[in-house]
Amino acid sequence: MSDKSINRDFFSRLNLFIQTHTALMAVFIAIILLIATFIVSPSSLNKVFFGNIILLTIILSIPAAGQTMVLIGGGMDFGVGAVMSATAILTTYTMRGQNGHFLQVFFIAIAIGAVVGLINGICSVKIGLPAMIVTMAIANIVTRMQYILTDGVLSGSASPALAATVSYRIFGVIPAIVMYAAIIWPITFFILNKSRYGKQLYMVGNNPTAAGLTGVKVDKIRIISYVFSGVLAAFAGILGAAYMATARCQIFDGYAYDSLIAVIIGGTTFAGGTGSYAGSIAGSLVMILLSNLLTSFNLPSPMRNILNAVILILLLMLYNRSKSVRQ
Amino acid sequence: MAIRESLRRFRRKPAFTGCMLFIIVLILNIVVQGWSTCMSGGVTAENIFAFFKPSALTSIFMSNLPFILITIGQALLLIVGQMDISIGVQIALVNVVCIMVPQTTGCPVWCGWLVGFAAAFAISAVCGFCCSVLRLPALLVGYALTFLIQGINVLIMNVPQGTVPMAYWKPYQSSVYKLFNNPPAFLKFLDYIPVAALVLIVVLLIWHFFSRRPFGKHIYAVGTNPRNAFAVGINPVSTQMKAFLIKGFFVGVAGICLTLMSASGNPLQCEEYGIKSLSAAIIGGMGWGGWGSISCGVFGGGFLVLIQNTVYYFFTLLSKLVAGFTVSSYWHNFVSDLIIFGGLLMTIVTAKEQRKTLQQGLKAQFKRGEKNVR
Repeated sequence: MSDKSINRDFFSRLNLFIQTHTALMAVFIAIILLIATFIVSPSSLNKVFFGNIILLTIILSIPAAGQTMVLIGGGMDFGVGAVMSATAILTTYTMRGQNGHFLQVFFIAIAIGAVVGLINGICSVKIGLPAMIVTMAIANIVTRMQYILTDGVLSGSASPALAATVSYRIFGVIPAIVMYAAIIWPITFFILNKSRYGKQLYMVGNNPTAAGLTGVKVDKIRIISYVFSGVLAAFAGILGAAYMATARCQIFDGYAYDSLIAVIIGGTTFAGGTGSYAGSIAGSLVMILLSNLLTSFNLPSPMRNILNAVILILLLMLYNRSKSVRQ
Repeated sequence: MAIRESLRRFRRKPAFTGCMLFIIVLILNIVVQGWSTCMSGGVTAENIFAFFKPSALTSIFMSNLPFILITIGQALLLIVGQMDISIGVQIALVNVVCIMVPQTTGCPVWCGWLVGFAAAFAISAVCGFCCSVLRLPALLVGYALTFLIQGINVLIMNVPQGTVPMAYWKPYQSSVYKLFNNPPAFLKFLDYIPVAALVLIVVLLIWHFFSRRPFGKHIYAVGTNPRNAFAVGINPVSTQMKAFLIKGFFVGVAGICLTLMSASGNPLQCEEYGIKSLSAAIIGGMGWGGWGSISCGVFGGGFLVLIQNTVYYFFTLLSKLVAGFTVSSYWHNFVSDLIIFGGLLMTIVTAKEQRKTLQQGLKAQFKRGEKNVR
């Protein structure tokens, strides 16, 4: 066997490995990014840094959970960011820096998330509009409502107690937000991997016709995935408000794309039917570490944007290419 | 008989939905604008048809031509099964280049325009390369390129600045009639034709030229199914690249129109146009891949433009009808977004066939290879 063919063999096997172990790949990329961060700025190797990374990753991983479910079911949810911003504003607006409003905020926020998710689901599944466009249109409406409610100005802040449950550092390192993660992550894992609903969701995403023939209520399963996404995004909005203390309009809109890319990096595909939440968490970590690395380069903001774009395209090239027509 | 036959044929056209929505909003706009003007200026024939006042026509065409042009570009990409949500910042790029090249090098303005066109072609080629040669998901490529182009824009021009000589923007912002120095009276009707509308017509004629060539058929074949297109001897990659380059031409024209409209440069404008043009194209009746036509883009873009215009006059009318009625401009945006959502819902009432292609195309668009190769 010549050198060349060994080489090709190695690369094709590497390629196959990358294609089949996307969640693991996301962890690898995260480790590379972490090492790169330490090389660029060794001073960042401290307790505060790790605490922040964990905190931000957890906040991103919550809407990513909903996004994972929607993508597995074969849809897409761009309303995530707008719902997060809306509930963040609701949180600060209702609490006004005072304790004792948590349950009220919690139930209203969850209701908002569920209603937006339901509308998203009905419009994209039952009515059959393209998910991307319709969720964006609904997200726009949600955004406009934020402006109407607040008149575009900052108002109120999250209660100190709620802020403490997110930002307080246990042993000085681990942020208290892990409590929330300890509830939401297992629930998501259970829903996706153990529950009947999860199995049906994978089936629907893989082949809706076959799923329908075996008696799965395809539309219902998909709409529920949108509702989950809305509810999780609403909850993430509360936590985000607690982290930021104040909230302006559209504060978390970027999370729509961030969560989508995190989920894609984690190995869930646009086509539906594949993916795991573990991958999405790893993908969230990659996104947070990437933006952190870009900040630690200390570049002017246009250069940072350009570098961000190049790295994103490289990440996509790694294992998100569709097949050639010639194959 | 012939009329009925052609009407029936028209109903099966993809542009039917968009055309109907456009006509409805156009009538609504004429009524609301006329009513609103009558309330303030008294009932005269001129006020009733305030929409058709030459100055009003010119201003609506002039300020919205860039958006309509990029919606046409987006429609072309949708036909071929791709999309580009960075198209909004691309026209900002052209704008920035058109302003900065003459300002820094001292060369004539048209020279800057040529460089602007080159920039539009180059960035479209990059986008096309990522989407069709590297086969990355178009949505995420567009998102990444938005960062890239905004970074480049700010590198070229860090703060909004610059001017365009009046000799350039004045003709664009006027009607054809006003172009003449001493126009004869019988040409008065030309006052109703804005120069911007003329630009749109020229661009559509150029597209007409392309659509009569084999390329005009190939885009539909590639958009419907690249694999089948390849099997019958059409190169999907080169067809998609050509579509991206023609979109680059639309972006170049749109960017120059934007420059002439604002007569200055702003590196961070128009970002929202990317997604807005996409929804405009969908409202106009486009599907994902192999369905729709360029006129869908025109109607969809026109729909969005007229909605905003109508909502503005609607609220002015309300404030005159109801004493003490004032709302912030946030309400304008809210109502127009609600109507846009309603327009999206309308598309499904009229176009069932379209829906099917749409969904199949969407799947193909995002599929990362065959199911069994994971």
